[in-house]
Amino acid sequence: MKIWTSEHTFNHPWETVAQAAWRKYPNPMTPSIIGTDVVERKVVDGVLHTHRLVQSKWYLPKWTHKIIGTAKSCFASERSVVDPSKRQMILKTVNLTFCRHISVDEIIYYEPHPKDPTKTLLRQEASVTVHGVPLSHYMEDMVTSNISMNAGKGRLGLEWVIGRINAEVKGIAETAAKSTDDLIMTTRRSLDDMTESARKSMDEISAQAAKHMHI
Amino acid sequence: MNSLGEDCNELKRKYDACFNLWFSERFLKGDNDDSMCAPIFKVYQECVKKAMEEQKIELREIEADYSTGDYNEKPEHSKS
Repeated sequence: MKIWTSEHTFNHPWETVAQAAWRKYPNPMTPSIIGTDVVERKVVDGVLHTHRLVQSKWYLPKWTHKIIGTAKSCFASERSVVDPSKRQMILKTVNLTFCRHISVDEIIYYEPHPKDPTKTLLRQEASVTVHGVPLSHYMEDMVTSNISMNAGKGRLGLEWVIGRINAEVKGIAETAAKSTDDLIMTTRRSLDDMTESARKSMDEISAQAAKHMHI
Repeated sequence: MNSLGEDCNELKRKYDACFNLWFSERFLKGDNDDSMCAPIFKVYQECVKKAMEEQKIELREIEADYSTGDYNEKPEHSKS
């Protein structure tokens, strides 16, 4: 088993980051996430519980295909809790498609930074276990480095979404008279725009992201 | 962001827009009443469940009771 952990501080309040976390996909930095669906969602004692199905494409090297299959599209199950009174958001993800051979468990915490509550601390832990296949040690290394790379991109992606939300909030303030319908339409349109720009610039940005990442 | 069921994309878009509004404007401000998006959520859910059945995604595998709040519990993985 390989375990990977990471921390990152966002210079934004927890409320902004939590909103952005729901709207994280699509973003140009993580084109590998191709779909999300809410399977279950409820509010219990002021805490929002959500179960989502996340569909992604993993670009693993070709030599792994014979071992684990090409797995064109993978599914992961993500369970999360959001507690506004504690200002805490926790997301736990397990993958489904590779279950026979590879288990990837990931947990993400978004909490106010202990030293500066106007900032948000992201803590991320992932464990990778490969069993029942040859070269499992190498496979674990590779999947772990894949996660580490994706986490870097995920952070950039979230910053990008926060930028959009802040711009939107500004826009909303300027046209305060807008009805909810208009707002929903705008959101919808901006989601479409995001998908479009994601498609256009994903190569360019992921190349840049790779250059700037220090993990 | 797409739904796993192509037919559900439009419903998902409507629901997500409603949810994002509810989350930032109500839930984060202390209002726990989630009836605002309930009607659209119901229709969207029906669509997703159907799409999952069609694509043979087994909910059994991902279903576990999280109302216990035990986040360390792992679903059973090893089949081989």
